[in-house]
Amino acid sequence: MTTLLQLSGVSFGYGGKPIVAGVDLSVDAGDFIGIVGPNGAGKTTLFRGILGLLPVLSGHMRRLTEAVGYVPQRENLDAIYPVTVEEVVEMGAYSRLKSLGGIARADRELASACIERVGLTDMRRAPFSSLSGGQRQRVLVARGLMASPKLLLLDEPTSGVDRTAQARIIELLIDLNQREGMAILLVSHQLAMVRETVRKVLWVSEGHVLHGDANELLRPENLDRLYATGEPKSTAKA
Amino acid sequence: MDIPWADRLALFQFALLAALCAGLVCPLLGALLYLRRTSFYGITLPQFATAGVVFGFVALPWWIEHIGLGGLSVEVALSDSHAAMNYHVAWAAVFTFGGLLWLDFLARRSRQDVGRVAAAFAIASAATILFSRLSVVGASFVEELLHGEVLGVGLHEFETLAGLLSLVLLAFGFFHKQLVFVSYDREMALVLGVRVFAFETLLTLITGLAISVGTMTLGPLIVFGLLVVPPLAARAWSRSMKSYLILSSAFGVLAVVLGVVASFELDLPLSAAIVAVAGLELLPGLALNRLRR
Repeated sequence: MTTLLQLSGVSFGYGGKPIVAGVDLSVDAGDFIGIVGPNGAGKTTLFRGILGLLPVLSGHMRRLTEAVGYVPQRENLDAIYPVTVEEVVEMGAYSRLKSLGGIARADRELASACIERVGLTDMRRAPFSSLSGGQRQRVLVARGLMASPKLLLLDEPTSGVDRTAQARIIELLIDLNQREGMAILLVSHQLAMVRETVRKVLWVSEGHVLHGDANELLRPENLDRLYATGEPKSTAKA
Repeated sequence: MDIPWADRLALFQFALLAALCAGLVCPLLGALLYLRRTSFYGITLPQFATAGVVFGFVALPWWIEHIGLGGLSVEVALSDSHAAMNYHVAWAAVFTFGGLLWLDFLARRSRQDVGRVAAAFAIASAATILFSRLSVVGASFVEELLHGEVLGVGLHEFETLAGLLSLVLLAFGFFHKQLVFVSYDREMALVLGVRVFAFETLLTLITGLAISVGTMTLGPLIVFGLLVVPPLAARAWSRSMKSYLILSSAFGVLAVVLGVVASFELDLPLSAAIVAVAGLELLPGLALNRLRR
């Protein structure tokens, strides 16, 4: 298995103060991992740290691929911007802009392919703000795919969308993972969805991280104990 | 007035060309201010620029005595502000950038955006009046500056304005995608390795530059009018970022052209006429939004 991301005893936090500490994690090609835990436990801190938005306070993090896609929460994007689906997706190639020209033809074609991949070709010229929550989320997945990623990181991809939209997003992620071997790491507070979708889980609680098999760690009887004590009945090392 | 149109255009050609330049460029920057929800900057920063210009008059006698101003005497520099234009633009820039950096610094510490910007506007306005009392040019000059004596723009002012706004337009044209991206989704831009700090600094620089030279040349009213109103009018008609930027600029130029016509035909002050026309441009968009509901 090709390792894409490796964390050894890593701590992340703000202002030099660790919020999550001692994280050991290895993400290999084809992995499907969920980061879950109570609100305020440090999920977002861990996720932002993995993205490189927070400094590593201690330990070592090695990103072994540059091909990393990121899908933010769609609520973070202001609807006042009159951007089309196409414009949003093309932003995924803006790190490759050569400043004096527009977007390269190859990137335009890639954007069309990514839009098609998420099933929104008919809406490519539609204003992003006019789409439903689920459609917007798929647009952001398409933008994440512009990096031709080996590792895709998603922040609450199914939050606030209806069940049908949620199912389509999950179906898309499973397809990317199984057919293209893309490693996926997602943060979510929707435990049922995570249990049914991912294989490995990182349970973040009070700044510490537990690893485990999704079906094992997120069993209902385990969850009660996890919320109460931060410890499962039995923990499997990832 | 019964002066033929051709003569009026010839007489005020530099003023009108300067206003057209501002009509083209200011709304582009204003569009980004609007999208970043910092439109109040468009009102507050020209006030900082005005305070800078007036402070320049306060400091002028000292400056000429200790540093010099291209051989100008205090009397010449005071009686002919055109002669010392670069000096005044420089002071406008110092105050504008100072205000912009101050507001950005406060924005990182607190999310009370509207109150903070309103307080900055009040302080800059008060400083303008106080400086005018301290300067030898007095309050009447400040009144003139605030109302924007656009028609007095000469060749040198136009050249300075056109030169600097061309730089702003070039920078905007080359980097508008990145400027929009770091405004729209800063976190994603950081993750992708886009030089976010560099582009945010570029936006600060070109905004400050346009406001400084625009305020010194045309007055604060026309500058903040063109920064704020055309982008607002264009938003209702825009379905993409590209069309939004083009329409903002087009509404700015249209406001200048129709404002000039209104000013000449109805004998109105030019700055106020341009901003009033820009205000009228809001009406079709409001009607469209009502129809959409």
